[in-house]
Amino acid sequence: MIAEEPRVDATRVTELAQSLETELARLIVGQKALLRDTVIALTAGGHVLLEGVPGLGKTVLVRSLGQTLSMSFSRIQFTPDLMPADIVGTNIIGDTDGRREFHYQAGPIFANLVLADEINRATPKTQSALLEAMQERTVTVGTQTRPLPSPFFVLATQNPIELEGTYPLPEAQLDRFFFKILVPFPSEGDLLEIARRTTGDSTPQLKSVADAGAILTAQRTAREVPIAEHVLRYAARLVSATHPDRSELDSVRHYVRWGASPRGLQTLVLAGKVRALLEGRYNVAFDDLNSVAQPALRHRIFLQFEAEADGITADRIISEILEHTAKEPASK
Amino acid sequence: MSSLEAIVRELRKAARRALGARYAAHALVGAVAWVAAVMILVRLVPFERRAELAVVGIPVALAIAAAAWLIRRPSAALLMAMADIRLGLKERLSTAWERRAESGPLDDAQRHDAVQHAARASLPAAFPVRVNRGEATLVAILAIFALALALLPNPMDQVLAQRQADRVSQARAAKAVADAKKKIADSGKPSPKDAQIQKILQDAQAKIHEADSPRKALESITPAEQQLQKLPDPGTPALQSSAENLANALSGTAAGRSAAQAISNNPAKGAQSVRDLASQLQSLSPKDREELAKALAKASQQAQNSQMRDSLSKASSSLQSGDAASAAQALNDVASQLDSLQEQENTDQAVAAAINGLEAARQGLAAQADRDANGQGGQANAGASPSAGASGNGTGNGTGNGNGNGTGNGTGTGGTGGTGGTGTGGTGSNGSGTGSGSGAASTERIYVPGQPVPGQSENDPTPLGPGQDVPLSPYTQVIEAYQQAALDATDQSLIPGSERDLVREYFSQLGEPRAAK
Repeated sequence: MIAEEPRVDATRVTELAQSLETELARLIVGQKALLRDTVIALTAGGHVLLEGVPGLGKTVLVRSLGQTLSMSFSRIQFTPDLMPADIVGTNIIGDTDGRREFHYQAGPIFANLVLADEINRATPKTQSALLEAMQERTVTVGTQTRPLPSPFFVLATQNPIELEGTYPLPEAQLDRFFFKILVPFPSEGDLLEIARRTTGDSTPQLKSVADAGAILTAQRTAREVPIAEHVLRYAARLVSATHPDRSELDSVRHYVRWGASPRGLQTLVLAGKVRALLEGRYNVAFDDLNSVAQPALRHRIFLQFEAEADGITADRIISEILEHTAKEPASK
Repeated sequence: MSSLEAIVRELRKAARRALGARYAAHALVGAVAWVAAVMILVRLVPFERRAELAVVGIPVALAIAAAAWLIRRPSAALLMAMADIRLGLKERLSTAWERRAESGPLDDAQRHDAVQHAARASLPAAFPVRVNRGEATLVAILAIFALALALLPNPMDQVLAQRQADRVSQARAAKAVADAKKKIADSGKPSPKDAQIQKILQDAQAKIHEADSPRKALESITPAEQQLQKLPDPGTPALQSSAENLANALSGTAAGRSAAQAISNNPAKGAQSVRDLASQLQSLSPKDREELAKALAKASQQAQNSQMRDSLSKASSSLQSGDAASAAQALNDVASQLDSLQEQENTDQAVAAAINGLEAARQGLAAQADRDANGQGGQANAGASPSAGASGNGTGNGTGNGNGNGTGNGTGTGGTGGTGGTGTGGTGSNGSGTGSGSGAASTERIYVPGQPVPGQSENDPTPLGPGQDVPLSPYTQVIEAYQQAALDATDQSLIPGSERDLVREYFSQLGEPRAAK
């Protein structure tokens, strides 16, 4: 008999994700892919960059997520005059037992869930203050490095059409986001539902469905999901295919300036593992990788000017790569 | 045994079935393609064993496909991965198989999940036995194509029939030569040249048998005949004449009458009678001795052979002088010469029999060569280039030998290069001759028919010219009629085979410009 009780209860991860999605769906109308990708990133322990025009519910989503999780939540509204100290905190002079001395005043970054609203409105100097926090999960002020609470989850939003007075995120910072999720405009049916839910006299109250411990357990469980060698090779081929000097696709060679980094492969595999669990499976499938390829790679592929001139997007390039990359069966 | 291995076994079984069907289809395509290729090939190249060649490809294609089927054994990992894809199992089986020995936190659950999903799926459906529609269409097209090629008339059939006729003709010719050898061996009249004759016939038979065509086989006959014709002794006619004269002279004597009759019948018997006469000389009466001496003197005077003449003269003079012992010795010499004559006659007969055999072979080969030339003429038209061959006139001298007695002298007119010569036997029948001559430089202008007037058929009567009152016949009709008449004449005449070759070659050369046109 093969079957034994798994040492890690993966079904709890599935249940957690489903309850999170169900709870968020009470407030967020439609946007199932957005919710699924957000939950995947949360379960994988990655940060998310939400991109969409104003009014699509980006901020509501993040705020709702904070409500459904029993974790500390803070919101930072990025503006051009926002300073790094406004994010990471600073040393201020205080009065202690009659003596005046510096003590550290923690910034809003010290929370489990951080909403960086309109992140592209801050200056690059301030944006870079997030770099160490997002990657190292620590904050250094002066000579002292302080760890951030765990889990630490940054959800940043940006408006793609408003360019006046904005500072596009540099490639290095983009790469630190696990997913870049595009928030689409709702369908007509969803618009009607939004109108019904938000213009009445009652607003749905979300309940907490998980705490930090559950999220950390889910993150550890997700990393245990096995992936077959040929599926892993497929993921590597996908990432390699985004590079113009390695791809056989004309569109990649012509339009792509630089392809996804190895961090893109890590994201692809980890997100695939989470998705497999969310699908009630204990192994990564080709479908999992294909499903997460767009949010995992779109902000890691940097296009030439010709692409913009010809209306070619990173998503289109990724679709072509997915279409043409062979899913070779195992050769052994 | 784990369930995963049971899954692998089931998948492997299904894969073997599916691969077997696929390779069988491949083999069928290969076999039909082979047959079609053979059908095309035999239309381009004359090939006799076309059926065997076509059939042999079928088991070969099947064997190759079977070997490939046996050799190709997909790995378990490959089977699992393919089943994942074809059954929509989301890489469950391949992951479980790859990590069957792992003991990670989720490995057991993953394997259990994989086995559960596999149990719900129909594993053989991952490797269905089905016929590829493209292959089936290809087989049908190739089969129809091959069948059509097999049923339609094949231009190479004529070539093959000609080859077969050539072989039969050469076999018959070789048998004719073999029959001649046997006849000579069984004749009961041995001659000292029998071994050489047999060797010449043996060589000729082998060359005829091995020749590429009847025409090539014909080329080996004339040299053999020339070799045979060198074997007879040229002095035989003179010796025969002397023996006849001796028989005539002795027939008028009482003592030599029986010897004369024996010499007339057979030189060997004649020799024995002459020896008997020599031993009886002592007992002859003086009158008989004198009568015998006169007859011997007469025969001596008429003898054309010098040795015979000397022996007869010595015997005559010894008898007249009363020296019976010397006369007996001289008559014994005459007997020895008669024995020699018998051997030479035997040789002549053996040579004649051999030549008859070669001639019989020549007849058959020449007829087949003519048929070949007529059959190939139409095909050669397109490629031949017009050329006026120079011909020369020459004279040749030859000696002829026949079954009978006699000498032959003749003159020959050579064709190109002057190689011909004729000889006619004096009194013999079925004589043949060879000759040699040197051809003079050609000054003859060969008439080459001109191009037909556009719009006018070659067979149309040529318009009458100034001063002509008889319509002219086209060249091609005239030359064909001449050729037919000449060949009929050679077949009906007792002329040597080499001369028939000359006639055939002459008309063949005349035909070249026509063929080139």
